[in-house]
Amino acid sequence: MAVQPTIASAPVVAGQDFHQDTTVKMFLLGAVGYFAIVGIIALIIAAKFVWPGFLGTISYFTYGRMRPLHVNGMLFGWLLAADMGLAYYIVPRLCGVKLWSEKLGVATSILWNIIIVSAIFSLLGGYQKGLEYADLPTPVAILVVIAWVMFGVNIFATIATRKYQQMYVSTWYLMGTILWTAFVYLTGNFATLLPGVTGVNQANLTWMYTHNAVGLIFTPAGLAVSYYFIPRASNTPLFSHKLSMIGFWSLAFVYVWTGAHHMIHGPISQWLQTISIVFSVMLLIPVWAVVYNFIATLKGQWHQLSDNISLKFLMSGTVFYLLTCFQGPMHSLRSVSAIVSKTDWIPGHAHMAVLGTFSFMAMAGVYYVVPRIFKTTLHSEALANWSFWLFLIGGLGMFTSLWLGGFWQGWQWNNPAIPFIDTVVALKAVWMVRFLSGIIIFSGIVLFMFNILSTAIGAGQRQTIAQPATAKA
Amino acid sequence: MNDATYVSVYFSYFLFFLLACGAIFFFVRSLKDGYLGSDSEEPKYRMLHDDEGDLPTHPRRMS
Repeated sequence: MAVQPTIASAPVVAGQDFHQDTTVKMFLLGAVGYFAIVGIIALIIAAKFVWPGFLGTISYFTYGRMRPLHVNGMLFGWLLAADMGLAYYIVPRLCGVKLWSEKLGVATSILWNIIIVSAIFSLLGGYQKGLEYADLPTPVAILVVIAWVMFGVNIFATIATRKYQQMYVSTWYLMGTILWTAFVYLTGNFATLLPGVTGVNQANLTWMYTHNAVGLIFTPAGLAVSYYFIPRASNTPLFSHKLSMIGFWSLAFVYVWTGAHHMIHGPISQWLQTISIVFSVMLLIPVWAVVYNFIATLKGQWHQLSDNISLKFLMSGTVFYLLTCFQGPMHSLRSVSAIVSKTDWIPGHAHMAVLGTFSFMAMAGVYYVVPRIFKTTLHSEALANWSFWLFLIGGLGMFTSLWLGGFWQGWQWNNPAIPFIDTVVALKAVWMVRFLSGIIIFSGIVLFMFNILSTAIGAGQRQTIAQPATAKA
Repeated sequence: MNDATYVSVYFSYFLFFLLACGAIFFFVRSLKDGYLGSDSEEPKYRMLHDDEGDLPTHPRRMS
């Protein structure tokens, strides 16, 4: 297939050999592969909501095994692996030096793949801890800690040898990701298992981990990616670096306290609930700092979205980020939580954060990076556009059906005259919409994977072009 | 004993204290390193010039 280079996929030859990028390639291609595999699991789960007997007699495909595999596979197999791969790409370039150790990076990638394969087999086999987002058996969780230390050492050592004193905001966010992940992951996977940590205390720690897995792992990683690729993909300077730093430090201060808002009206202290609500509302400060910065950066450049696949994903992700971070503070309020807590609203919210926001940002990075590290052009711009629209349409179908269904579910649960089983039957139509939306999203995943793998595999067969003259704003 | 003096609450007070200390430390450090001064916008221009070179300027992009 003849491919014309465009702004989104133009290979840049000059200076590229400075970076080896083997680690980036291994992480990104692995992540894309796992995205597709776990997407199948997601479809099976969505089908089970509509047809509860579907594959119900096969133990490996029961809901109790499929759901942890879907959650952990998407979080660690796809999204975190993609963010790590992009971090290995971004940090050396922002620091003006090579990655501290390519060998250590490759070893980290190999270990990460061992972890994901171990997780697949153990979760399918029913070996899990039964804690939200922390289902992985302890030996596998220990391997995650080791891999994270290897990743952290490599990134921090690269930053320590940087050419420039002042660091760009993406570097700050990635440093935050590494440090926050360390204590968040240890809390959720190990502190919850300590003697005496049971009942409400364990639930409180689990929600601290679960919420901060999104807020202090995927949020800073996703924002680091966006802060790097929005200016690079649009060839436009960031609106304000000062504002980005205010956003970073306010996120660092605010986010950690918000997890308990999942236990509003639960058996925890009122002061803890109130603190979680106050800090959840305060989240609007860093969120607005980020969103305003991204939107202001594209002032006068919105026309680039028409033919720039990375920007399409990035700016759609930004809109979803605004929506999901408006949702979060609102449903942490006691009056709203009384309706939506534990309903389908919550998975709708979680999917908009992890898929709509941070996966969109990661896919934008992958679409930008893969042609460059393989020194080629993207296999197909048309397929990339198709994948974007499938993700967008499927995602909107899933998010809105779950929000509306969740509200409806909550109103029914608040009416003691309605038997619980009737509220389950009533939602079947909502779950059908989710299943159909899932098929659309999965089609997007397949096109994304095919396009990226074809770009990598066919790299040697396509022509590379010299870098055109550049202009700066 | 009430909610504000319950024993486990003091742990939260301690965490708040640590965070406040960290915030003050990094605020002062940021001031010293120029993140909030006249040079604060320098990194956003430099990142467009990293060793990858630049993307071709879009024909419709305003310069």
